[in-house]
Amino acid sequence: MTLLELDGITVQYGTLTAVDDLSLSVERGELLCLLGPSGCGKSTTLRTIAGFERPDAGRVRLGGGDTPTDVTGTLPNDRDTAMVFQDWALFPNKTVRENVAFGLKMDGTPETDRRARADEMLSLVEMTDHADNDPTQLSGGQKQRVALARSLAVDPTLLLLDEPLSNLDRRLREDMQLELKSIHERLETTMVYVTHDQDEAFTLADRIAVVNDGRVEQVGPPASVYTDPETLFVESFLGTTNLVDCTVRRARAPAETADAQVADGGRVALETPLAEPLFAPATETAVSEDDHVTASLRPEQLSVGVARDGTVGDDGDGLATTGTVASRLHRGSQVRYEIEIGEETLVTHRRIADRLEVTEGERVAVGCPAESISFFDAEGRRLR
Amino acid sequence: MSTRVGRLRQAVGRRTGTGLLLPLLLFDLLVFVVPFGYLLRISLSERGGTQAYAEGTWSVEGYSYLLDPSNTIAETFVFTLGFGVVVTVVSVAVATLYAHAMWRADGSLRVVLVAGALVSMFTAIVVKLFAALLVYSPDGVLNGLLVSVGLLSEPLRLVNNGVGAVIGQLYIVVPYSILAVYAVLSTVDESLLEAARDLGANGPRAFVEVVVPHAVPGILVAGVISFTWSIGSYAAPLLLGSGSERTNGVLVSDLLLREFDWAAAAALAVVVTATVLGGLVVGRLVLSRREVSASG
Repeated sequence: MTLLELDGITVQYGTLTAVDDLSLSVERGELLCLLGPSGCGKSTTLRTIAGFERPDAGRVRLGGGDTPTDVTGTLPNDRDTAMVFQDWALFPNKTVRENVAFGLKMDGTPETDRRARADEMLSLVEMTDHADNDPTQLSGGQKQRVALARSLAVDPTLLLLDEPLSNLDRRLREDMQLELKSIHERLETTMVYVTHDQDEAFTLADRIAVVNDGRVEQVGPPASVYTDPETLFVESFLGTTNLVDCTVRRARAPAETADAQVADGGRVALETPLAEPLFAPATETAVSEDDHVTASLRPEQLSVGVARDGTVGDDGDGLATTGTVASRLHRGSQVRYEIEIGEETLVTHRRIADRLEVTEGERVAVGCPAESISFFDAEGRRLR
Repeated sequence: MSTRVGRLRQAVGRRTGTGLLLPLLLFDLLVFVVPFGYLLRISLSERGGTQAYAEGTWSVEGYSYLLDPSNTIAETFVFTLGFGVVVTVVSVAVATLYAHAMWRADGSLRVVLVAGALVSMFTAIVVKLFAALLVYSPDGVLNGLLVSVGLLSEPLRLVNNGVGAVIGQLYIVVPYSILAVYAVLSTVDESLLEAARDLGANGPRAFVEVVVPHAVPGILVAGVISFTWSIGSYAAPLLLGSGSERTNGVLVSDLLLREFDWAAAAALAVVVTATVLGGLVVGRLVLSRREVSASG
């Protein structure tokens, strides 16, 4: 059941368009991550949901009932949302318990009830011992817990989180991610979570909306967004990848085409700096000769082996070529390799236990199966 | 050369705290401690009769003059305290609203509001008071306007009385109060206001719950500035009051210049100064108690 609907939201600051005709819907009980680089409009989107920004166009619909009701013009204090701020925004003149009870005080809940509810929330985030403390004396992680308890205390229809963990160090951040996930599973509160950290998004999200330039590029479960990107932006923003600029040469001549590949649909040959052509799944109507196409080869999909007679076994349209190991770098639990192939350098990595028995300067065979290579046209759209 | 500079820098660095304080201490000594010592000494002299005071004598005649009911010093003192309270209350209220407007305003409106406070502050007191006289007198700008648009049938009496004295004094203290409150308000994190709104507080409620507690130190400072300055006020009651708005300041000047009774004048001045310092100490205690309770 849909709980929140953003319908063509546009937010402008003067001539700058922060959010550009953005539409999105959030289902009851899910945790949706708005993931994107800084300045992409994800925080502005969240503030629009909370009511701090009035959109220049579009509607915000939020619903407890069967159909969400239009809240576009509703003030933040009359919206059934609660926000966890990036800097937590705890009230410095109030104790931790008073902070958590603040929303209930505004509701007119009697003193004893709100005290009980505040203590319940503080025990949920394991901050009971600090109930009478001054929030300014808490550590970052503790402030974060109090801010979460304060927002949960009002039992919001929708909880909004604006990069709540970005001010914490990495270790604490990873612990808090898991804790947040377990709180979400226990309370089943619908959450919209803004982050620029893909690991955080993959850890927490039921669905990820990748935001770029004020628009949603792709929405879906984390695994499908990662493995099946619709745009070059999504492919390059999620994880590291090798992007290779190619140029369309010609559609493969029928004589060279194996029957199975004809059944696949059209393929076009690409001139690459890898000394080997690649074949993109596109018809001649989708691309034409001399068009630029970007091929993306994920480091974890590259196979590296001992070079025998210059090539590895050809597996059809995939990459099968040889290169030279240019560098080998130990990075904690992983080893990173740079392999020079033709005019291009491809990066791959292996866990320490699976590290490659190669030395710098050694000739190696490099391969990548065709189905693991994604191709994008000049506008960044995926070629399928 | 460079090592000498380095050594000099080290020496300065070590004593930076006291070194920076020194000019201030010297200034304080010359313009406050030494003159006040003279004042205290004169207040403890015999009253002169034909002279201003009897040099080299010791006496509490000046203070007993103050206590003599026939001299109605107590009435003046009570009037001055009441005057100070009225000015302080109005000044703090006006300053808090003005500072809040300044804080919430953006761009050019904020510039105009800040300039309004600063220009008034940089204007000489006498100039400011004569300007106020021009605005508020029965045939002045304000009354002229109100009568001509028909809001009033006859002009309000806003000068040459207690109201005039208060208005005049407000022109002196309000700019300082505004800056005192604004200095604190400008440190309020606006996301606190948003958090309060988000949790269901409407605008006024968020102001009371979040902004006011934060602004209390600034409001107290504004109160102290307004009160201590009004207790010693002289020019405003003299220029915009009638003869009957006699504050301590006016009385001291009368004793000095008309009665030629310096011992009594000095005694009154010492008592007024002691009252002001007492007020400051109380204000300071209230502030530090708040700080202790906030951090404890």
